[in-house]
Amino acid sequence: MKAISRRAFATLMGLGTASVLVPPGVLGQATPRVVVIGGGAGGATAARHLARDGGGAIEVTLVQDSPRYTTCFFSNLHVGEVRDFDSITHDYDALAAEDGLTLVIDRAVGIDRVARTVALAGGDVLPYDRLVLSPGIDLIHESVPGYSESAAERAPHAWQGGAQTARLKSALDALENGRNIVMVAPPNPYRCPPGPYERASMMAHVLTSRGFTDSTITILDTKSAFSKQALFSAGWRRHYPGMIEWLPPDVHGGILEVDAAAGTVETDLDTFEGALLNIIPAQRAGAIAVDAGLADDSGFCPVVATSMRSTLDENIFVIGDASIAGAMPKSAYAANSQAKVAARNVRVDLLGARDVAATYANICWSLISPDNGVKVGAQYRPGEDGTITSVSSFLSEADESDATRAATYRESVGWYDAIIADMLG
Amino acid sequence: MIAPPNDARRRLLATGAATAAAAFFGGTVDAFASVDDIEAAIAGFAGAAAEDAAASPLTLYLPEIAENGSSVPLSISVDSPMTADDHVEAVMVLAPENPNLEVATFHFTPSSGFATVKTRMRLARTQAVVAVARTSAGKRHRVDRHVRVTIGGCSV
Amino acid sequence: MATKPRVKIPDSVTAGEVITVKALLRHAMETGERRNGEGNPIPRDIINRFEARFDGAIVFAVDLNPGIAANPFLEFTARIDRAGTFRLTWTDDGGEVTEFRHAISVSP
Repeated sequence: MKAISRRAFATLMGLGTASVLVPPGVLGQATPRVVVIGGGAGGATAARHLARDGGGAIEVTLVQDSPRYTTCFFSNLHVGEVRDFDSITHDYDALAAEDGLTLVIDRAVGIDRVARTVALAGGDVLPYDRLVLSPGIDLIHESVPGYSESAAERAPHAWQGGAQTARLKSALDALENGRNIVMVAPPNPYRCPPGPYERASMMAHVLTSRGFTDSTITILDTKSAFSKQALFSAGWRRHYPGMIEWLPPDVHGGILEVDAAAGTVETDLDTFEGALLNIIPAQRAGAIAVDAGLADDSGFCPVVATSMRSTLDENIFVIGDASIAGAMPKSAYAANSQAKVAARNVRVDLLGARDVAATYANICWSLISPDNGVKVGAQYRPGEDGTITSVSSFLSEADESDATRAATYRESVGWYDAIIADMLG
Repeated sequence: MIAPPNDARRRLLATGAATAAAAFFGGTVDAFASVDDIEAAIAGFAGAAAEDAAASPLTLYLPEIAENGSSVPLSISVDSPMTADDHVEAVMVLAPENPNLEVATFHFTPSSGFATVKTRMRLARTQAVVAVARTSAGKRHRVDRHVRVTIGGCSV
Repeated sequence: MATKPRVKIPDSVTAGEVITVKALLRHAMETGERRNGEGNPIPRDIINRFEARFDGAIVFAVDLNPGIAANPFLEFTARIDRAGTFRLTWTDDGGEVTEFRHAISVSP
């Protein structure tokens, strides 16, 4: 390995010279170990790329809490009866078979940042030289008055893929004509900005297909505007006229109480009744990250824009929804993009690999009706102010042809297959 | 109610944002109200009432940027004693770049307590919204507020 | 056809108090400018008049045009000097009236 000065090395890694790390390989130590927590879009991508690109020089352990993974992304399409449950649920067999990667199905319950170990629920303790944290989000149920984890059985948020998705789908299947849906949409920042509105679109599609013209969907928002609002509004007027009503805080006056058992959401203006309540509360980084002291007052984890390294612990990288990633929204596409930057920086640390300027990308696709897809996306770089900054962006046009909208949807399907392959092999 | 002007001049839609915002108006807005039309509407509403040159008691609140032209919050307030002798009779709102110039006229009485109203309006494209108030004491007040209408993007 | 309005209005006030009333009605406020899938114009159908009356006398009223957003929302004030009944009415282009009544009591 080419000899470089400590200062140059530190600059390369974005660290102060007081804390220069010398790659273990250089010192002739045992194979460096990386633990990745979370087998979703961020973690699985990071683990797979580290194992493949490390050429066996890194021992990667991926900790994932269940053997099957239902993607939260595209789960709205299952709610809309465009995709079945199995098509959005995947196993880890191919990933587990990767050379250099050990898959552990268990739950990480604690991080000892001094000893550099991860404790698992099953009792094992995993040592790490570097840790990649991709735990996703936790729902702050109490951010919506009257809502709780137990209320989420009856009034699902379905903001994590799997059981909650199935619960929401069942509730929609059971809905009768004339009965209503009430959704509470979350405040910024949250996972998947256009998600609640794509979900309302998909539920409206199902109700319309069934001929349930007497049923309505009311969105009680905690925000005064939302992602792609003009595109959604136009799409709702076209495909589901009069079915979806969006109320911002200055109309409903504030959410006072959710009663999941009674099926009511009381606001300052009035009480809204729904046979199906979809309450999506405020969110924060997964507990494992928060409990380890890696989150700030926002509830999410600050990271260095050039590397996704935690600003609070130089041995830990935080990626995906749990991270504060500047202008990037919280999405699977973004998590996958951030994972590759983090993986490269782990290799720079541990193997002295060549560093490359970080670039990131995101695209969020939303399906308004089965052939009407829209998208928004951007390229990003670390900006002058030290945050991840958008350098060019694009958005579906209002007056695009139906053919373009259908093609946009098909593009998202291609992306889904590609990201699953990139994550899971 | 004043019909949209039959004007030979056509304004090209500058961006797709205008088209999106105008979708509820039929997809294209190629007619717009001229200054004469606005003055005629105000004259019809305020009649002989004198424009008050002093600081306006009329407040018109609209967001600077509206990410969705189909529902833009609008708030009006007129500082007034609201007595039988001196109260706001009505406030008219005009949107010169909408297909229909007049958006609404709000009628107040002394038993309104305050001459204040909040509602939501449609904006076909970026424009300056006009509010004109008429009082029982024979005064008129006018405020213009510019709103930029966009499609918006993927907010964090 | 309009549906049941949602109204926030107090039940009981102090004499002379100015109350705030919030009223929301589900209504498409069809502008008359849109076209359907076949390219045919969708006829205009809006709420064109709102009135708030207290014991029969008008307190506040609005002439609405298509420039008011769908699901018309109005927040306004009223000074209540004595007990009585509020009557809110929304009238559409076809002349159909949707009504909301609410009794208000007053403590001295």
